Amino acid sequence: MNDLGTALVPVGQALLSGVLVGGVYGLLSIGFSLAFGVMRIVNFAHGDLVMYGMYVGVVASTSFGIDPLYALPVSFVLMALLGAAQYLLVFKRFVGSATLQQLLAAIGLGLVLQMLAQVVFGADTRSAPSMFSARYILIGPLFISAAQVVAFVVAVVATAAVEALLIATRWGKAVRAVADDIEAAEIVGLSAQTINITAFALACGLAGVAGTIMVTYYPTDPSKGLSLMPIAIIATTIGGLGSIRGSFLGGIFCGVVQQLTAMLWSSALQDIPLYVLLLFFIAYRPTGLFGLRTE
Amino acid sequence: MDMPFPAGRAIVVKPRPGFKSLLPVLAVAAVAILPALPFVNPYIQAVVVRALIFIALGQAWNIVAGIGGLLSLGHGVFLGLGCYVTGILFNEIGLPPWFGVWAGVLVALLVALVMGSMTLRMRGVFFALATVAVSLACDQLARHFVDLTGGDSGLALRFLGDSLWAAQSRSPTPFVYAGLGFVVAYYGITRIILTSRFGLEMRAVRDDETAAAASGVRVFRTKLLGFLVSAAMTALAGGLYMQFYQAIDPESAFGLGQAIQLQLPALIGGLGTAAGPIVGGALMIVLSEVTNWGSTKLNLVGVDVLVYGLVLLMVVLWAPKGLVGMLSRRRVRR
Repeated sequence: MNDLGTALVPVGQALLSGVLVGGVYGLLSIGFSLAFGVMRIVNFAHGDLVMYGMYVGVVASTSFGIDPLYALPVSFVLMALLGAAQYLLVFKRFVGSATLQQLLAAIGLGLVLQMLAQVVFGADTRSAPSMFSARYILIGPLFISAAQVVAFVVAVVATAAVEALLIATRWGKAVRAVADDIEAAEIVGLSAQTINITAFALACGLAGVAGTIMVTYYPTDPSKGLSLMPIAIIATTIGGLGSIRGSFLGGIFCGVVQQLTAMLWSSALQDIPLYVLLLFFIAYRPTGLFGLRTE
Repeated sequence: MDMPFPAGRAIVVKPRPGFKSLLPVLAVAAVAILPALPFVNPYIQAVVVRALIFIALGQAWNIVAGIGGLLSLGHGVFLGLGCYVTGILFNEIGLPPWFGVWAGVLVALLVALVMGSMTLRMRGVFFALATVAVSLACDQLARHFVDLTGGDSGLALRFLGDSLWAAQSRSPTPFVYAGLGFVVAYYGITRIILTSRFGLEMRAVRDDETAAAASGVRVFRTKLLGFLVSAAMTALAGGLYMQFYQAIDPESAFGLGQAIQLQLPALIGGLGTAAGPIVGGALMIVLSEVTNWGSTKLNLVGVDVLVYGLVLLMVVLWAPKGLVGMLSRRRVRR
């Protein structure tokens, strides 16, 4: 019995870290999912906004000496503005269908953002510790990082807030109406353009929050945005493209699968099962676990 | 060969005979005599080879994306498989690339078959996401299995010097002719596909899947076949890539930068046209030479990627039909 207990410790550890890491994956996926669900925009530059959010934390910490956690609102506002600008300059013309041109435009935009970050911040790896970094909590034989717990809580709160916004407010109702049928929404007097801008800005603001909270335990460099995109894509597809709750749970699922793979197989190959799962979900359950039922 | 249609809505713009029909012949002849010219040094020849390789690769991507409208963002997978399989077979068991590359094509076809049959029944966006995932998976696998692939630092061919058997050469001249052969052949294949029933079906599926299905086109089969043809062509050109560069690494096989380099020729030149990747590929290499020169002058790393991103963005936003599309549209208006 005791042997079984010791054998289960690594599994419990992997599950626990997986859930904590996955919560933030969920947070960075819900913005990606929101842009797709409302506007059918696949924003490959979403990861780059997460990366800029990370640099907001870095700048707050190194230039202003402020804890990155206090910079969360700033990060949200800045990325939301940047998102609105992106929408007006690039994505506005692609609303409604994810075409080849739209995907390529997003990739081009992502590359430009990544290179600008490299010019401004340099290619070095940077980090921004918060008051919770380097603190650990012990639960019996398991230990977890306090920064990750805080990040997980922020992710849960942000996801719940977005769900509440979409379900309970007038604005949320308008967003769902535009997502359902843009023409019908305009006939009943909604300004689809305004609603799309605000929804896209919210999606990008969430990316900023995800980045700033992540940088407290995960160092950044200009290529981080691109390397986070696969997780957002997989979490969103498994959870259901367009579903906020689904994407969040998909993120947790990804985190757990990663940690278990790293423990049982190899940490260098921790993403391989996720890619395989993605293919199977696309082939056999493209709506994901919670996705839009109709197309 | 006059069209039996009376004057009316001109659907097919018949090219004026003369200069335009001679243009391809002149272009081939110009490249063919290039190595013999006195001022053409090996450096210029190498630039020409790079252009030819990327034109061939762009032509292959053009078939799936331009004619078929399928959003493949991961054609680096097939380029990488062509390179790695050719290289590994040569290094490990001494199989010359003349045969090894066909094994690469076979592996690429298998991967494309699995990917395609799992994702092509769904909407395009899922296919696009899957191609991204498969290239990232290949990247991780190539980095992990160091014994076979050389890991992060990549795989270098055993160099035997000038050898026809090993398809190796110190001088770039043979590769000019090999690249030219690829470009001519791929241009021909694209022309044949464009004028064939299969090409018509692919374009019908691209423009309106539902309407195509209603007209009796077997949508899934058409998409899968187009994807397979394109994957095989990319892997075959990968063999030439490997022999010319003598090395491959995960980043230049499966990285996003490479994926974009495979797309730019067709995008700049004109998606879905046979001439587009040729014009675009030539332009792209000129562009990359200029930015390389500029980034060494300014001592800035990554300028080329910034330029590629900007070009990608500009082409998609302002010239979605590419240069060839812009020119031919003007001719129709006249």
